[in-house]
Amino acid sequence: MDFILHIIIRASFVLFVVAGYNVVFGKGKILHFGQEAQDIVVAYMIWVLVMRFGFPLGVALLAGVLAAVLSAALFTWLSLRLEPDGFGVMSIAVHLACLSVVLNWQSVTRGALGIPRIPRAPFPSSLGEFALFTSILLVAWLLVLWKLDRGRFGRQLTALAGHEWHAASLGIDRRKVHFLAFLLSGIGVVFAATLFPAYLFLLTPSDYHFSAMIFYVMCTVAGGPGHVWGVAIATFAIVFLREGLRFVSLPPDVLGPMQLILFGLILLIAVWLRRDTIFPKQRMV
Amino acid sequence: MQLLINGLIAGSLAALIAAGLALVYGVLGVFNLALGQIVLVGGYATWWFCQVAGLPLFLGIPAGLVTGGLVAWLTFILFVKPFYKHHRFLPLVTTIALSMILDGLILLLFQERPRSILPGMKETMLLFGGRVSSEQLVLIAFTLVILFGFAYLFHSTAVGRRIRAVVQHDHAAMSLGINAPSLHTLIFVLSGVFAAAGGIFIGIDQNLTPTLAFPITIKAYAAIIAGGKGNFWGAIVCAYLIALLEQVVVGIHWFGVFYIPAGYQQTVALLFIIVFLLLKPTGIFGSVSRSA
Repeated sequence: MDFILHIIIRASFVLFVVAGYNVVFGKGKILHFGQEAQDIVVAYMIWVLVMRFGFPLGVALLAGVLAAVLSAALFTWLSLRLEPDGFGVMSIAVHLACLSVVLNWQSVTRGALGIPRIPRAPFPSSLGEFALFTSILLVAWLLVLWKLDRGRFGRQLTALAGHEWHAASLGIDRRKVHFLAFLLSGIGVVFAATLFPAYLFLLTPSDYHFSAMIFYVMCTVAGGPGHVWGVAIATFAIVFLREGLRFVSLPPDVLGPMQLILFGLILLIAVWLRRDTIFPKQRMV
Repeated sequence: MQLLINGLIAGSLAALIAAGLALVYGVLGVFNLALGQIVLVGGYATWWFCQVAGLPLFLGIPAGLVTGGLVAWLTFILFVKPFYKHHRFLPLVTTIALSMILDGLILLLFQERPRSILPGMKETMLLFGGRVSSEQLVLIAFTLVILFGFAYLFHSTAVGRRIRAVVQHDHAAMSLGINAPSLHTLIFVLSGVFAAAGGIFIGIDQNLTPTLAFPITIKAYAAIIAGGKGNFWGAIVCAYLIALLEQVVVGIHWFGVFYIPAGYQQTVALLFIIVFLLLKPTGIFGSVSRSA
């Protein structure tokens, strides 16, 4: 039972981020592969302030939100300045740069060792409480995203993804819509960055490598880009698969590479099945 | 002077990889994010041929290049061609999937241990006040020969004219009887061979480790974007510039007060490019094209 609860909690943490990322990549068709940069910046902002400088969690959370807003503004600016594929690659460069700073600024971040002994709040603290709290928060988060998806913002984002100029001619402000999309993905990150290290009692840079980004892309593509509930189901299924693979009796130096190969194949098959919907062809007259 | 030599060595490696990529981007308009893994495949294959199968280096290198070309061909057939006609951004995602698969295979076959094609200490010599090994000199010269050879092929032969025609407009080129699909495949394979050459370069000069792949890919693409996407010579110049920048950033005693730690080498270069592209999104040698 504990293991099931653990998987639910892990899947919830992933889904907080994936659901936000789905707004940018799935719905907005913005070639963004720098989600982990936002993750790192927000997580380290919160927990460095708490653990290294002794700030109260409330203040650190506000700083985390501010970091999410600023990183959303940076990515919006980059996405408006660069061609879509150029932005895709440069967003990875932003991620690598952030990761490199975390790994090398050892006096503040403790480098590859991470920040241990992250405290838990009085609630949630036990496994059951964490599962309950994250599940409720996650459902609320998904409902907000679903509501936004069905509303004006969702229609504007879809229009921009379909044809930027046509959308602009209808008065849709690309700058504003893109910023909101990145901001939503940032808010998802704030939830995960606050709860996940507290759950593990540890904040470590190894959770923020590009492989995590690939995992987000895989969940988004497998669930149906832009579909809130589809992505939620796919994320849970893939996290269950990932965690379940730990029970396969293979040595660790074989299991790790096998996981990589398996997830690569899943991503390829998902893209093959959804090749007409990930980036729909532009309609021509 | 030592920084300049180091920049030239690192730049030669980056230029080799970026050159093939710039061509692929110019012709197909697609990014191959498994490029770093193809670099490693070339290096590891050469290591295997030389250190395990016992082939001499002059046979191991061509075998490594062929392996790189073969993997690039398979990449094109399985991960790019079925997708890029649907949307040119799809290969960006499929090649991420390929990068995971190749990462897994490399880890399974070669483990995480560093591998060197020419193990042991290398003799260095003084050249214009800087230290350089004979292997490094050969590699720099080899890169220049390849790049100039390709320049000749590109600008002075019938095949080069066909390639340039396909780069400019592949449908128009096809209407003139040029077999554009075959040239697409040829160019992709050529980029794989260039990448494999880069991997062999790493395996001879330093050590091959599986973690190298991703930063290689990103730096090569940074060079392409900074050089003006699809601009072959722009990519090569920027590859050298980025490599030099990386060396200078950590090698200079800034204001006589501090050194930037070596761990930030890549970060500073990437941040410089990001800031530069924010100011000039078309890249150094790119031009703003009218699209309407």
